[in-house]
Amino acid sequence: MLSSKGVDFSGILRRYDVDQQVAATPQEMAKEMLPHDPVFKKVAEEVLYMRFKTVAPVVNEALKEKKPLDVINEGLVAGMEIVAKLYAEHVYYLPEIMMAAKTMEIGIALAEKKLEGGKMKAKATVIMHAAEGDPHDIGKNIAAIMTKAAGYDVIDMGRDVPVEDVVAKTMEVKPLFVSGTALMTTTMSAFPRIAAGFMAKGLSIPFMGCGGAVNREYANSYDLGIYSDKAAQTPPIADKILAGYDWKKVREEWDNIIRGE
Amino acid sequence: MAVSRYTKMAYKDADELIFGRAQHPVSYGFGIKVGAGRVIPEINYAPRPGTERDVEKFRREYVDYICKDALDRAVTAGMPDLQMETEWVSQMNQKKLAVPVVAGQTEICEKYHEEYGINTAMRQTIPDQREADQGLRPGMDKERNYPEKLIECAEMACENGAHVFSVESMGGKELADHAVTQGDVVAFLFGVGYLGSIDMTYIWQQFVDICKKNKVTPGGDTNCSGANTSMFMAGGFLDNDVQRTFSAITRAIASARTLCAWECGATGPDKDCGYEGPICKAVAGKPTSQEGKNCQCAHCDLQGNLMASTCDLWSNESVEYHPEFGGSSVACWLGSLGYEVALMNTSIQLGQDKTLRDLYMYTDRIRGPEAYILAYDHAFMIGKAIADNGNNLYLRSKAAGETAAKIILDGYNSKELPLTKKQLEVLQDCQKQMAALPDDEAKFVEYCTKLYKDVPAFNIKNYGL
Repeated sequence: MLSSKGVDFSGILRRYDVDQQVAATPQEMAKEMLPHDPVFKKVAEEVLYMRFKTVAPVVNEALKEKKPLDVINEGLVAGMEIVAKLYAEHVYYLPEIMMAAKTMEIGIALAEKKLEGGKMKAKATVIMHAAEGDPHDIGKNIAAIMTKAAGYDVIDMGRDVPVEDVVAKTMEVKPLFVSGTALMTTTMSAFPRIAAGFMAKGLSIPFMGCGGAVNREYANSYDLGIYSDKAAQTPPIADKILAGYDWKKVREEWDNIIRGE
Repeated sequence: MAVSRYTKMAYKDADELIFGRAQHPVSYGFGIKVGAGRVIPEINYAPRPGTERDVEKFRREYVDYICKDALDRAVTAGMPDLQMETEWVSQMNQKKLAVPVVAGQTEICEKYHEEYGINTAMRQTIPDQREADQGLRPGMDKERNYPEKLIECAEMACENGAHVFSVESMGGKELADHAVTQGDVVAFLFGVGYLGSIDMTYIWQQFVDICKKNKVTPGGDTNCSGANTSMFMAGGFLDNDVQRTFSAITRAIASARTLCAWECGATGPDKDCGYEGPICKAVAGKPTSQEGKNCQCAHCDLQGNLMASTCDLWSNESVEYHPEFGGSSVACWLGSLGYEVALMNTSIQLGQDKTLRDLYMYTDRIRGPEAYILAYDHAFMIGKAIADNGNNLYLRSKAAGETAAKIILDGYNSKELPLTKKQLEVLQDCQKQMAALPDDEAKFVEYCTKLYKDVPAFNIKNYGL
C-alpha cells in the first residue's frame, strides 16, 4: 500500500459534517424552547428525550391537574415541535424523530381517554400508499409518522396498492390529499392514472408523487399532481393544503413552502 | 445444491485484492471473462414510464433502443467488452413482457459480437416481490403468489437466454426497515445478518439448480434493500437521517448475508449495488461488480473512487432512458464507464494497477466511516472475522459488525478518521448493544423473536423457524 504520510487531505476533501457540527447539546438548545409551566415542561421533556417507557406515569400525573387537551397541545405536541426544530438544526436525526413520535403517541392515547368525545380532533385525514408493483415503502412509512406527528390522521394503505383501490378509498374518505411512493420508473406510471381516476369521479384532491424514481417534473406533469422530495417536506405541504392551497397553488409556491415560508 | 460455508479466506493478504483480477474468474456470454485480468463495463438502465403498457413497445424500448444504443456507443468508443444488466421492473413477472425482452437482448448481443467482435453478455436480475406480511415461502402468499412467482421469474430468465443470473433478494427487509429508522443495530443483525442469510440460502439453492439446468452463470445477490437503504439515508454531508457510523456497521453485517449466494454455488459476479463487494471478494475470491463515481446518474455516495479499487465489473447503477446532448442517457453513461475501465485496464497493462488501486482508495478513505471500512485493508479484516466464524450465520454477522465498529473507533482514536460527536456516540452505542448479545445462537433468536414481535410484517415462519 502506498504511504499517505504527510498528505494534506484538506485540499482533496472537506468533512463538512465534522466542520459544521453543532456544538450545543439537545438540552442546551431546548432550554429556551420548553414550556414555562412546570407540569407541561415535564410532559414535553418526556417527548423531547424520547422516554417512551416513562411517559405514561408523567402524563397520568399531569392529567390530575391539567385538562387533557392542554396536556396534549402544551405538553406532548410542544415537545414534538422542539424535536422537529432540533431535527432541522442537525442535532436530532431520524431515529430521534421516530422514537419521540412513538412517545408522543403513547401520551396522546392516555390523554384521549380523559377527553370528552374520546379522541383528539386531527387537523385532517391523509391517505398514503406505495405504488402498485412497488414493494419499497420505507419512505412512505417515515412520511406517515412525520405527518401523524404533525397532527394529521394518516390512512396507510400499505405497498403494492392497485390504482382502483386508491381511487375507491379516496372516494370513500375524501382526504385532504393522497400520496403515492414509487422507486421504479414503471410503477410511478400509476400516479397519472390515479389522478385521472380522481378527476373521473369529480374529485379535485391533490395527488402527491414521492419516492426515488419520482422527480418534480414528473409529479407536475399531470393534473392534480404535486411533489414531495423528502418525508420531512410532507407536513408543511399538508399545512398549506389545509390552509386552502389547491394543487396549482402548491406547485406555484412549492419552493417557498419547503423553505418554510 | 449443497451449501459450503466460507471458513477460510481466499486471499492470504489484503494486498492481493485488486480490480480486474479474482481468484476464480468466470466466463460466459459471447466472449466475456470476468476477473481474468481486465475490468468490464456494466451498463444498467430503466425504461421510460408508460412503456410497460404495451408488449411490443416494451420490447422495443429495452432491445431496439436501450441495448442498441449501448452497443453502438461501445463500438463507437472502441470498447472491447460490454456487459448489460436488465433489472426487471415488476411487470416483467408476466411471461408476455419478460420473454421477448430477455430473448431479444441476447440476440442483439450475439449480433454485435458476430459483426464487430465485441465481447458481450446479458445479466438478467429478477425482482423479488415477496412481502413479509403475506409470506416469503411458497404456499404462504395466497393472494399474489409472489414466492412462487420468484421462482417462475428465475426460470423465465434462465430458459430464454440470460448469461448471468442475479436477484436483489428482500429477506430480512421488514427488520432492516425497522432497524434503519430506529437506529437499532440488533434489529439489523437479526433481520439481515441472521434471517436474511437463512432466506438467501433457501432461495439461492433453488436458483443455482435452475441456472445449472439451463447453463446460465449464477452471479449473486446484494443487500440493496437493507444496507443501501441505510447508506442512502445516511447520505452526504447535508443529510441528517441516519448516522454514517451506523450505516457502515450495517454494511459489514450485510456482507455476511451476501456471501450466502456464493456459498450455495453461485460463481459471481455479484450485484453492482452491493457495496459489500470488497468484503465478499476478500473472503471468496469470486469476481464482484461495483459502482461509485460513474453512477452519479443514480445517486451520490461517499466512496465513488474507492469502490473501483477491487471491482471486476464497473457499473453505473441505473439510469432512466432519455435523451442527453451527447446521445441517449445509456450511451452517455456507458461512455463514462468505458473510459474509467480503460484507465484501470491500462494501469494493469503498464504494471501500475496497485498504484491506481491505492489512489482510488486514498481519495475516499476518510470521506466517511463506510468508505473507511470498505478500503481493501479493512475489508480484508472484516472478511477474516466472517471466515473465522463461517459456519455460524449469527456469530459471523456479529463478528463482521463488531470488527467494522472497532476499525472505525481505532481510526478515530489514531486521528486518521474524523467523526462527529454524534457519529462517535452512535458508534459506541452500537458496540455496547452488540457486546451485550449472547454468544449462543438459540438464545439470540429467542431474545430477538420476543423483542421484535411487534415489528410490522415480522413473522418468524417466513424463515422456516
